[in-house]
Amino acid sequence: MVLYSTEVEKVIERIKKSEAKLVCLQLPDGMKTYAKEIADKISQETKARVLIWLGSNFGSCDIPLGLSKMRVDLLVSWGHNFYHKKVEGW
Amino acid sequence: MEVMFLDAAYTGKVKLNQATLDYITKKKYRKIGLYASVQFCNQLAEVEEQLHKLKLELVTSQPDRTHVKGQLLGCDNYHNSLNLNQDVDCYLYVGDGRFHPLALVYLQKDNPQLKEVICNDPISNKMTLMGVKDIETILKKYRGSLIKFLSADIIGVISTIKPGQEQLRPSFQLEKKYPGKKFYYFIDNTVSFDNLENFNFIEVWVNTACPRIGFDDQEKFLLGVINLNDALEAKEILSQDSLFNRQ
Repeated sequence: MVLYSTEVEKVIERIKKSEAKLVCLQLPDGMKTYAKEIADKISQETKARVLIWLGSNFGSCDIPLGLSKMRVDLLVSWGHNFYHKKVEGW
Repeated sequence: MEVMFLDAAYTGKVKLNQATLDYITKKKYRKIGLYASVQFCNQLAEVEEQLHKLKLELVTSQPDRTHVKGQLLGCDNYHNSLNLNQDVDCYLYVGDGRFHPLALVYLQKDNPQLKEVICNDPISNKMTLMGVKDIETILKKYRGSLIKFLSADIIGVISTIKPGQEQLRPSFQLEKKYPGKKFYYFIDNTVSFDNLENFNFIEVWVNTACPRIGFDDQEKFLLGVINLNDALEAKEILSQDSLFNRQ
């Protein structure tokens, strides 16, 4: 049983709409085993090349840096939603 | 680069188990502070209905950095970040794991009394309780680090470059607050615990990255570490009647 919804169809729609060519998938530890299934589905349904982030995904405060330099067009991060940073400190 | 966040909502049914309902009834709690992690927080309708049937008052809030009401982040470990402006009899957390609900314990460290944290995990269908015992060892060490900070002359301030966590500029307030101390600023991608010992001139560390690092990773800092906001109010924190000072 898949415990958490991956919403791959939503990702595929976004990739097609934005014409992303290089996509990075970032999964929390509890969902890293879903990476193959998600990557395979995206590769089948779109022309995008898929990268899988090996490292941490502690929160939406923890998105990988430097991906733009590698010309990644879209980062898809599971398990978190938009993060409102307090600029004045915690 | 575009970024797309997906909640990864739990695919099963989200409801409280009988053990949780029985426990709340037995303890005669009337006002419940309800929170959940993002995988569960949009599916709490049945939970709310179950609690309303018991004639309980539910309160929640939207913590500072969250996107929806009732969502709890692991970094909500300071009471003011919850934005909850009323008292509750206990907290009820719906979700799996210990990382998130432990924030509800940490955020009470400066209170005189602890409100119990009841965790209902819809995946394992189990209820667990959290309280001071879950953090007492860490709080003891943290208190030692806070005392050490006050007497230290040379302090290492750690910032990370991740945009969500970076708090470099707020950390400059330390110089104004403690003009007699010398602060050295360290920057890293993520905190490299293995490299701390190489900087042997540092007496104690101040963490400005994720505020859970100051607590959960306390043991990885041989010289001790405290979070920035506690450093800025060290004397006040140590002088109040609180759970923290009774450890």
